Amino acid sequence: MQPIPHAENQVKTKEPALGVTQFIRSLAAIIWKDLAAELRSRELLSAMLVFALLVILIFNFSLELDAQARSTVTAGVLWVTFAFAGTLGLNRSMAMEKDRGCLDGLLLAPVDRSAIYFGKAIGNLIFMLIVEAIVLPVYSVLYSVNLFKPGLLLVILLGSIGYVAVGTLLSSMAVQTRTRDVLLPILLFPLIIPVLIAAVKGSTGFLQGAQVVDIRPWINLLMVYDVIFVAVAFMVFDYIVEE
Amino acid sequence: MLNTILQQAPAETTRYMVAGYSVIFSVIFLYVVSLIVRRRNLKRDLEILDELESKEK
Amino acid sequence: MESKPRLLAILDIVTILLFITAVGMVFFYAPLEAVMGQVQRVFYFHVANAWVGMLGFLVAAIAGVAFLRKSDRKWDIVGMAAVEISFVFFFIAIVSGSIWARGSWGTWWTWDPRLTTAAIVELVYAAYLMLRQGIEDPDRRARFGAVYAILSFISVPLTFISIRIFRTIHPVIIGSGAAGAEGSFEMTPKMLQTFMFSLLTFSFIFADLLWHRIRLGKLADKTENLRLKVLQ
Repeated sequence: MQPIPHAENQVKTKEPALGVTQFIRSLAAIIWKDLAAELRSRELLSAMLVFALLVILIFNFSLELDAQARSTVTAGVLWVTFAFAGTLGLNRSMAMEKDRGCLDGLLLAPVDRSAIYFGKAIGNLIFMLIVEAIVLPVYSVLYSVNLFKPGLLLVILLGSIGYVAVGTLLSSMAVQTRTRDVLLPILLFPLIIPVLIAAVKGSTGFLQGAQVVDIRPWINLLMVYDVIFVAVAFMVFDYIVEE
Repeated sequence: MLNTILQQAPAETTRYMVAGYSVIFSVIFLYVVSLIVRRRNLKRDLEILDELESKEK
Repeated sequence: MESKPRLLAILDIVTILLFITAVGMVFFYAPLEAVMGQVQRVFYFHVANAWVGMLGFLVAAIAGVAFLRKSDRKWDIVGMAAVEISFVFFFIAIVSGSIWARGSWGTWWTWDPRLTTAAIVELVYAAYLMLRQGIEDPDRRARFGAVYAILSFISVPLTFISIRIFRTIHPVIIGSGAAGAEGSFEMTPKMLQTFMFSLLTFSFIFADLLWHRIRLGKLADKTENLRLKVLQ
């Protein structure tokens, strides 16, 4: 077992973590811990990636699409893929935390609880974005669709933020239950329907070259959702991890 | 005769009304019954536990 | 706590009387709707049930906040009671809505914002119940239940809005009739009165059942504590 940089080691301080710089330092430490661990083992990313590509493959056979139908359905296929691969990532990320006892370690460390939440959430977001960054070109190639429109990338970013904000919160709850992995999608999917709807409609809008004024409502909805849930997560995370 | 020319009669949907209200009434009834049954079971458990507790003492 | 409080007994009687009156109004006072016929009568109790469901959701969310702030067990009992009752009543609302849709527009389901959101909320309740079932420790169960009640309560209006916008941009014609036109009939004064009275009746039903369910919850707690004590 290779040594994993523990957050406690990074945060060298004699007093409780106060102040913005400490917060950011703790945050960075937690994110780096996850990234470094993943760099070594790559188990999380490879699982998410292979799964995502398999889902795209299955869609190819289950939905017999001609080029015309594809343009309307691409956004939906992509987002279903992201939603399911995202669940995988969230589950694994939290499970690794709990199983290795890192979570308890983090809680004992003089680190602000919300830094733990943001650290995990940003880590999850990075993983999700990496997977999306690989799936997009693959999909483009497989279906001869140009997916590199800046509007689309914005929608994917905003949608992923909302997904991960709620997902990290719920996975920290699910991991502490008996049913664990199975429970996360059940808890998560009803709550992220606004994200899915807005992301799919927004993505389709940008893909089909609709007017920005038509797409605006969806982007606004995504931003509102993101802001609300990040704020709520900030307030509520303490109660999830208290012992 | 004039009626059918001037205005159609309402659709014959009585059976749907019956179906709807059957569901409404029966589910409410079942829920109330479940509350009563659960209460009775708990009371009985409580009695048994009370006996056990007094026996232990 | 063993015997029923006087106020609750009175509430029981009042609720039953209101219920009988409401049923009477629905079947004998409210006029027959000109186009849909008898099935329109389902509307009164269908909406009233949905109303109870939403009330319950609000109560559960408030109880959730209260529990997190005060850590008082009773708020958890209130929250659980509210969710359970809402689960039952939303179920009734969805099924009766489906029957009404079938009778009025010939289709068992319309993807209109309200019915769709109701289905999603029902799934949220199911998720809440499954979450609680998967936790042994009562304190954690209560905390997580509270958090999920709050999170889901916040997400539902956003869900409703997003489906609304989705539907206004894409009015889909399902089946033969114009779907999504809930309440697409003219409400005469007598209908309105019946409707409002149904809402009132079901508010009382909600309060009455909630009180009973809370009492049940307290009894369950008491029994559980005694069980742990006696059976070690």
